[in-house]
Amino acid sequence: MTDTSPDTILEMRQIAKAFAGVQALKGVSFSCRAGQVHALVGENGAGKSTLMKILAGAYQPDSGEIIYKGRRYTSLSTREALDNGIRIIYQELNLLPYMTVAENIFLGREPRTGLGLIDTKKLYADAEAILQRLEMPLDVRQPVGELTVARQQMVEIAKALSQRADVIVMDEPSAILAGHELETLFSVVESLVRQGVAVIYISHRLDEVFRIANEVTVLKDGQVVGTHPIEALTRAQLIQMMVGRSLDEAFPHGQPRRGAPVLTVEGVTTAAVRDIHLTLHAGEIVGLAGLVGSGRTELARALFGADRLQSGTVWLNGEVVTLSSPAQAVDAGIALVPEDRKTQGLFMELPIRNNITLTVLDKLTRYGVIRRRAEAERVDQARRELAIAMASASAEVQYLSGGNQQKVVLSKWLARAPKVIILDEPTRGIDVGAKFEIYQLMRQLTEQGVAILMISSELTEILGMSDRILVMRDGRIVGELAREEATEERVMQLATTGSLLPATTELPGYTGSDA
Amino acid sequence: MTTVAAAPATTETRWRFFRRNAPYLIVYALILVIAVFGTLSSERFLTDRNLLNVFRQTAFLGTIALGQTLVILTGGIDLSVGSLVKLSVLVSAILMNGESSNMGVAIAATLGLGVLVGFIHGLLITRLNVPPFVVTLGSYSILYGIALTITTNPIGRAAPEMLRFYDLRIGPIYAPTIVFIILLVALSFVLRRTTFGRYIYAVGGNEQVARLSGIPVKRVKFGVYILCSLLASLTGLFWLSRMGIGDPVIGDGLELQTITAAILGGTSLFGGRGSLWGTLGGALLLSLTANVLVVLNVNQWIQQLIQGAIILTAVALYKQKSR
Repeated sequence: MTDTSPDTILEMRQIAKAFAGVQALKGVSFSCRAGQVHALVGENGAGKSTLMKILAGAYQPDSGEIIYKGRRYTSLSTREALDNGIRIIYQELNLLPYMTVAENIFLGREPRTGLGLIDTKKLYADAEAILQRLEMPLDVRQPVGELTVARQQMVEIAKALSQRADVIVMDEPSAILAGHELETLFSVVESLVRQGVAVIYISHRLDEVFRIANEVTVLKDGQVVGTHPIEALTRAQLIQMMVGRSLDEAFPHGQPRRGAPVLTVEGVTTAAVRDIHLTLHAGEIVGLAGLVGSGRTELARALFGADRLQSGTVWLNGEVVTLSSPAQAVDAGIALVPEDRKTQGLFMELPIRNNITLTVLDKLTRYGVIRRRAEAERVDQARRELAIAMASASAEVQYLSGGNQQKVVLSKWLARAPKVIILDEPTRGIDVGAKFEIYQLMRQLTEQGVAILMISSELTEILGMSDRILVMRDGRIVGELAREEATEERVMQLATTGSLLPATTELPGYTGSDA
Repeated sequence: MTTVAAAPATTETRWRFFRRNAPYLIVYALILVIAVFGTLSSERFLTDRNLLNVFRQTAFLGTIALGQTLVILTGGIDLSVGSLVKLSVLVSAILMNGESSNMGVAIAATLGLGVLVGFIHGLLITRLNVPPFVVTLGSYSILYGIALTITTNPIGRAAPEMLRFYDLRIGPIYAPTIVFIILLVALSFVLRRTTFGRYIYAVGGNEQVARLSGIPVKRVKFGVYILCSLLASLTGLFWLSRMGIGDPVIGDGLELQTITAAILGGTSLFGGRGSLWGTLGGALLLSLTANVLVVLNVNQWIQQLIQGAIILTAVALYKQKSR
């Protein structure tokens, strides 16, 4: 099946990998060639990172084989991957800000003099040579902390490439870059390709894929949807491949009962979002879609008073509200269920009880003393309403399952009877059963007149739950779709390009990489 | 269908209980070991007189350690308490000057000094975002400097009532011990049963989550630093009642001793975990060890060495149990 052209340097055949019963990769075959950019695309959870971690030796595959430079491996160790010139550049930068560019590049492998001291002259000369080879316009003596993020990323790349590299995996390298910084990244990629390196480029942004990739492989649900030369695809076709069939996941039904406007936002601008206008009505769920880094979470933080507003006005129930701290937002009746419950939503080492009642302690006290019975009743009520499975309210929250932890976060806010609830990735890392319960709860809340703003990276969830969908890109709201007109393709188009293309054309049949 | 309220006593939950409370069990076990050792090595150890004295000394260290624990629970630290005790002793002795009629003003002014210092700490930490370590390191030095600029020799005098306080007994127990116990019980109650107490654990547990939960993080921090400084100036008054005079050598090294007591009592230096009853254990262990060594005529340099060994042993044991 798979073609083996002479310059194919890496071939992964029928790779399968399961985690705790979840099949992350179901027989994925993937190959790449020297001097080419091969884009790997797919939604969150499609299996891209797992596949690349197997290549890096971080995971061992359950079955399948890797043929690299003509040698056959059933699995790679991290040592083997490194020694054979496989390099991965992760999204996060791991640099020491007060050290110079050269010191960062050679961290831990500094050239030594005969006396065992660091050979500074050689350090800088070698670093200079590497940067020259990669055509990176950096000053080797400048502290890394003074560089822009794009240039810091260059240092990270230079560090990875300071030793011989034949295959380079870039895991969403553009996620941390602003639009104008992309060109810098592209020129680095182009110079790598000229030197005969095989580049595997993971990205959500289709513009980039079309700009720099020679080939593209689409992964979905742990399987390859197809591999094609980039010229053979249109943007619309690629989007449809990524989104694929819609999962028949059950979402609870509910009649939207759109009431009066509750929250009105006009011209809100912060460091991360620009000129936001939106209105939330009582009883509706508004989905906020967009790629990672498009400003969704930052918008949520702004509406919750966690980030400073540079301009703009927010009305709540017809009155202007000042949102300069979360405490003010809470008092005004806004709640935020943050995206990362472990670091932003819960006190993992405190008892379940304390987590649930923390936001309503003022209502449970008499003469400033917490009434134990009132508190126990509140905890019991939360447990019944949300069906939180716990052995004892004194147990620390960290021992609960993901779904139950999320219910604790929700109950913490529901106790305050908020008018507006912002949910940031409400079902991330939660099993299917608990997901459904959370969807049901969202419906119940809207029936009580609560307005919900739901941020989600799962398109099925956005489409299944939202009465209306707002799409963000580069810190702006670029489009609004009514429930009836929303499709996965349309949301993806808005999120990746910022506008809607004409209706998609019929696709030719996709069967592996015979194109 | 009602779910079971209490967890079944499986081995796992029992183990968890043990793990969570390991520091308290260990610190009180160590106290027992030292006490048994003291009893076996000297007849003078297990006497009413000696033990009541140990409890009285514990009150001195313990009172500030309570405040220090509150600060550490929020994830902060207060390095200035030793210097503040020193300055408080001098200020109260000078203002009192041996006259009963000056006593009220002197006490009020000394406690007021504590509140002021704590307020300034709160201001610098919450408004200017200077780390607590740096803020209180600075004020440690400033207060120390002020105290020794005032005098390097003993100065002023306690009022007669003040002097009597040190030896005053209610039942068999000395008055400073009783004041300390009242404070311990009251602050424990505050920690466990009031909004302020819950917020202290929340801020130390995860400041980001606390902020996103709408908790007034800054006010909580103000509260603990003011309380801590107030308790330090109160301890200054204890010292005046003991010495009868404003002696500028008082207070040296107290900052480290109070931090030690809190750590021995199982309070996490990262905040969010610990209790005042643990700190009581830590303070008791420190003063008991010092007492046994004095009773045995061990010289004070060796005492330091042994105390250090106890700290390392205890903390190494906690780590064992919490993994």
